[in-house]
Amino acid sequence: MSDLALAGPATAAPPIPAAVEYNEAVVQKFVIAAVFWSIVAFLVGVYIASELAWPALNFGLPWLNFGRLRPVHTSAAIFAFGGSALLGTSFHVVQRTCRARLFGGEALADFVFWGYQFFIVMAALSYVMGFSKSREYAEPEWHLDLWLTLVWVLYAAIFIGTLVKRQEPHIYVANWFYLAFILTIAVLHIGNNLGVPVSWFGAKSYSLFSGAQDALIQWWYGHNAVGFFLTAGFLGMMYYYIPKAAGRPVYSYRLSIIHFWALIFIYIWAGPHHLHWTALPDWAQTLGMAFSIMLWMPSWGGMINGLMTLSGAWDKLRTDPGLRFSVTAVGFYGMATFEGPVMSVRQVNALSHYTDWTIGHVHSGALGWVAFISFGAIYYLVPNLWRRSGLYSVRLAAWHYWISTLGIVLYITSMWVAGIMEGLMWRAYDANGFLQYSFVESVVAVHPFFVIRMLGGVLFLIGGLLMAYNLIMTVQSPSTEREAALSPIPSTPLVPVIGA
Amino acid sequence: MEIETSDMVVGAMMVALGLLGLVMASRAIDEEIFIFGLSLAGFAVVFVMGQIRRHFDRADAARARSREHV
Repeated sequence: MSDLALAGPATAAPPIPAAVEYNEAVVQKFVIAAVFWSIVAFLVGVYIASELAWPALNFGLPWLNFGRLRPVHTSAAIFAFGGSALLGTSFHVVQRTCRARLFGGEALADFVFWGYQFFIVMAALSYVMGFSKSREYAEPEWHLDLWLTLVWVLYAAIFIGTLVKRQEPHIYVANWFYLAFILTIAVLHIGNNLGVPVSWFGAKSYSLFSGAQDALIQWWYGHNAVGFFLTAGFLGMMYYYIPKAAGRPVYSYRLSIIHFWALIFIYIWAGPHHLHWTALPDWAQTLGMAFSIMLWMPSWGGMINGLMTLSGAWDKLRTDPGLRFSVTAVGFYGMATFEGPVMSVRQVNALSHYTDWTIGHVHSGALGWVAFISFGAIYYLVPNLWRRSGLYSVRLAAWHYWISTLGIVLYITSMWVAGIMEGLMWRAYDANGFLQYSFVESVVAVHPFFVIRMLGGVLFLIGGLLMAYNLIMTVQSPSTEREAALSPIPSTPLVPVIGA
Repeated sequence: MEIETSDMVVGAMMVALGLLGLVMASRAIDEEIFIFGLSLAGFAVVFVMGQIRRHFDRADAARARSREHV
């Protein structure tokens, strides 16, 4: 399907577009990076899940400690895997839908790619060395924050510059979501990380904020990192790659616009729900809760729009595993965005907060939504970017799908059970008003579920490895060369030549 | 072979960042800044060398194309 047809039937016949030489090299690099970092993120995740089940696995080494490896896992999953997928697909989508080559030339795009990878490697190195600001999802110290700011501003310049020089009159909705992701993350990153370094030549810094204000700033950032990095950006991905893979326009373009404005307006206020029952003023907690409940509407509107785009093309789910990943991702998006507001209700939060229910919720979003929508986009992109006839093995991709889905199910169900059990055990009183269980008893009780969670992670990792092998073979195998897909030209005439 | 403006701007920026990395490494008071500074300098050198390589690759490709047209 043409990129011009994504938004629905055209009102007038479009002029024949002039050929544009897109910068696909940088998109290819980001796709490779996303696949590589996905394996790293899953591997470290499995290792730290094992450490939680069997703490002796840290071997007494500080750099293998859970506290240091945990931000390596979260940063590898969110910023390295998710970020590479987002930056790469945004460069792909903005060029295609604007019919314009990336603004700023090849060198600037290359700098954004390598600069972003440099940030990831340096951040991971600093975590294992024991340097951290101890801010959720914003652990890198000030010098790395400044570096990321530079990279991000230049990334924004490329994206916005490409929009400005577009040859299409309309800005396709996926670009609006990507733009919201880019601009809001810039504001959040700078606001949350305002601090004072102890020395210009030392890594340690102190936050500009303190007390409850600092907590609120952290969760204004933390929740909107979820809202704008892990949701808005990936919705941009959804609005481009699902219609492309399904060969159908977006179900309701008007709904996608309402989805966009409602989501970005409401999400930004929901952060205080992370601070229920704390020193944060009661009204701020209630505000966060109310806006979280309101988020049901745009989230489910977007989910319905994504799913209904398959109208008339549901049969493709049987033959296109990439599309199956994307559509399942939308299902998980609906599930996670239903569960989140439920957990934001103060009374529910009294039970769920500080328990593994939160971990299960995060992973239904991270694995089911973020990873699956990225897998769908990657399975679509690799044969297209490398000019191959198709995937090396559709069956292997189907195996990836089922193994990963099983892994998610094991992960989130074990964490639901563990979390609710923890919450109930921590609040149980005996007849004399004493706590019924000590903390360590709840730790012993959840041990089997920690093992099940680790097994779920192993399955997800195996799925990721299958994908990496399949994609490498897609690029390298002679069986996927474009010519190989065509019927071989017979060496003898099909119809016997009369008289021969 | 024409040099793009962005090649010059990004190249100059990388030179400045590489020098900044060396200054940070030389005056570092902890190993984090020392490693970051040296890595930044190394990153800048490798990036600029990559730019130079790509420039000559493009020039070679343009020469090859012009020969085909003769």
